[in-house]
Amino acid sequence: MTTAPPSQAGARWRRARGPIAVVAVLVLLSFVVSLGARPERTGSLEPEATTPEGSRALVNILEEQGSEVTVARDSAAALDAASGDALVVLAASHRLTRGELERLAASDADVLAVRPTGPALRLLAPGVEMVGRGDDVTPEPECRLPAARAAGAADAGGESYSGGDSGCYPVDGGEGLVVAERPDGAATTVLGATAPLTNERLGREGNAALMLNLASGRDVVWFLPDVPAQSGQSTVWDLLPLPLRWSVVPLGAALVLLALWRGRRLGPLVTERLPVVVRAAETTEGRARLYAARRARDRASAALRADTAERLRTAVGLAADADADAVAAAVALRTGDDPAQVRRLLYGAPEGGDVADDAALAALADDLDRLEGRLSPGA
Amino acid sequence: MAITGRAVAVAFAAVPVVLAAGALAAWAAWAAVALVVLLIVADTALAPSARGVRLERSGDTSVRLGETARVELVVANPSGRALRGVLRDAWPPSTGARPSRHRLRVPGGERRRLETVLEPQRRGDHASAGVTVRSLGPMGLAARQATHTVPWVLRALPPFHSRRHLPGKLARLRELDGRTSALVRGQGSEFDSLREYVPGDDVRSIDWRATARRESVVVRTWRPERDRRILLVLDTGRTSAGRVGDVPRLDHSMDAALLLAALAAKAGDRVDLLAFDRRVRAQVRTRGRGTSVPTMVQAMAPLEAELVESDPAAMASAVLGGQGRSRRLVVLLTDLNASALEEGLLPMLPALTSRHTVMLAAVSDPVVESMAAERGDARAVYRSAAARRTMADRRRVTAELRKRGVEVVDAPPETIAPALADAYIAMKAQGRL
Repeated sequence: MTTAPPSQAGARWRRARGPIAVVAVLVLLSFVVSLGARPERTGSLEPEATTPEGSRALVNILEEQGSEVTVARDSAAALDAASGDALVVLAASHRLTRGELERLAASDADVLAVRPTGPALRLLAPGVEMVGRGDDVTPEPECRLPAARAAGAADAGGESYSGGDSGCYPVDGGEGLVVAERPDGAATTVLGATAPLTNERLGREGNAALMLNLASGRDVVWFLPDVPAQSGQSTVWDLLPLPLRWSVVPLGAALVLLALWRGRRLGPLVTERLPVVVRAAETTEGRARLYAARRARDRASAALRADTAERLRTAVGLAADADADAVAAAVALRTGDDPAQVRRLLYGAPEGGDVADDAALAALADDLDRLEGRLSPGA
Repeated sequence: MAITGRAVAVAFAAVPVVLAAGALAAWAAWAAVALVVLLIVADTALAPSARGVRLERSGDTSVRLGETARVELVVANPSGRALRGVLRDAWPPSTGARPSRHRLRVPGGERRRLETVLEPQRRGDHASAGVTVRSLGPMGLAARQATHTVPWVLRALPPFHSRRHLPGKLARLRELDGRTSALVRGQGSEFDSLREYVPGDDVRSIDWRATARRESVVVRTWRPERDRRILLVLDTGRTSAGRVGDVPRLDHSMDAALLLAALAAKAGDRVDLLAFDRRVRAQVRTRGRGTSVPTMVQAMAPLEAELVESDPAAMASAVLGGQGRSRRLVVLLTDLNASALEEGLLPMLPALTSRHTVMLAAVSDPVVESMAAERGDARAVYRSAAARRTMADRRRVTAELRKRGVEVVDAPPETIAPALADAYIAMKAQGRL
């Protein structure tokens, strides 16, 4: 409150620059990461996907064989590219509206419809009907269609159709591949299975050959419509009633006030100089941990023995300069033990190293306690 | 400036109003927000100034640790409007200030008295951190807020728990003095007075020369020496920072020092204090007679153990260079830390003991004792061994000190104060002061 203005501004800057730097680094980082990061498209019959159900392999092979493959994501692009002598491979026809299907049917391009929906089938291949949905089998062509005959058996088992001008790959009551002539002259080939086009199955049997034969060197328009966007549709927001929409304004104001109410502190925080907290026994406990960590049985046993011997020495009334033998003899006299044994217990073996393991150390401690207890029964 | 919960409630209340407004919702939404903002601004403008409030403090300036102190705050409202709101009298958390918030209601031009009760948890000086006033507007929607600096320092004094031992020790002192009705002859060595023989008196104390001049038998009475000088030296170095129980070793030492000082003051001795680590932290010199305990308590209050190695050489020169050349009892309150004492104090001892009587009091740690008794698995035995090693070191240093003529008092925290007092009384009885 009483600080000079420049230093206050400086202090504010010093306090704020940390968070500002963090935010700046985050923004920069997200920008750099977003550069060149395009989400990879995946999905069934996706021409860019390398996943098992994608079709990148087939597209590559077609391009190697001289066909120009154009990927179309909406019907306008597909119709644009389909001009001339091109084969439109239509996957995911369920994403197309009736109008789009009609426009496609009215075009003069040949169409390969992979598992078309009911409306797509009716519009693109008049007279063809779906008669069954079979298992995943690999039938022989058994037909006159040169593309199929040359390819041999293929994974055409799926939906089966009847009608059309010619059909191949008979599967339960119908055929897996049907060619139908549209009224305007172009041909529609209906394939009841997606398997021959996928990366996973392309190499099996005559799958690849069948697809290449169907394309037969022509340019290919791979028409995989995107999921239709809600273009021109009203959003959820637009559908809300007007008062509900406008109540957001006072609600937002109320939330801002709530934040201000809870965020305003009643005066600054109070700091306190905290004292150092060190336990006085810390060094002793540290020494104990060191003994335990290094398994310092020799030092530990020496400490225990020295302490007990010192107390026994005073208990039997000997002076501080009394030697080990004198103390052992005096103690043995009081307890009736063998002096050599007492000496060994109190001072250890002359060559040392008589405490072999931790269990022996614990036993030594108990023995020393017992000896001391026998000397002073009152204690 | 601050917002109250009421303002937030009003803002939330505007939401259903807008919902009910139907086609006028857009208009109602902006009108509601504008109204809330207007009300808040108006309420702030109408609130009495928080900065203009006058504050004055009074109350306790010192309190013994563990007791409660009261600090009063007089709030004067110089404005014409009534002051309503909240006041926070901020103190550091360890002072245990209650209540943390006061309700304010001061009519225009009047004063009100608020009381904050403090119960410090730690010894030393505690400064008030500031007084924040939040003055509400008449509608209670918004408030003006300001923090005032109203300095006040509360000194938390050492608790002096050991003063409950004082009556008992004083009684023992009076026995020495020969003033008690128990007819025990004073054991002192200084001639006090002559009085008539009473059956029970020691016949050896009959003064025959005086008896010859009178008809009755007269005995001499003796009293302990008076006007001896005692210097209490508190070690505030790192070895005093370690906690024994939940209290630093320094605080236990202070407790013992205070009991000794109180006792010695009653016995007619003069007690000085020196707190030392690498330099003098506190010093109390008693001039003439009179109790020095309150001064000593004040001097001890702000002392904290520093995390530095004490410098016994400087300490010794401070003791020797003190006032007068007379013989004194120097009581060192420190720890029996083998390495610190052997490297630091032992070489300095001859200089001290040649001029003064030296006594060393140290607080032992009951945790070490209980560790030494641990049995069971290997870890417990290692702990026991480490504890016994520590105890053996203490014994060795104690023996070394005693050999050099230093009286050593080594006791756990509960008994260090009476043990030190007993040692003092015993020295006085033997006339060794």
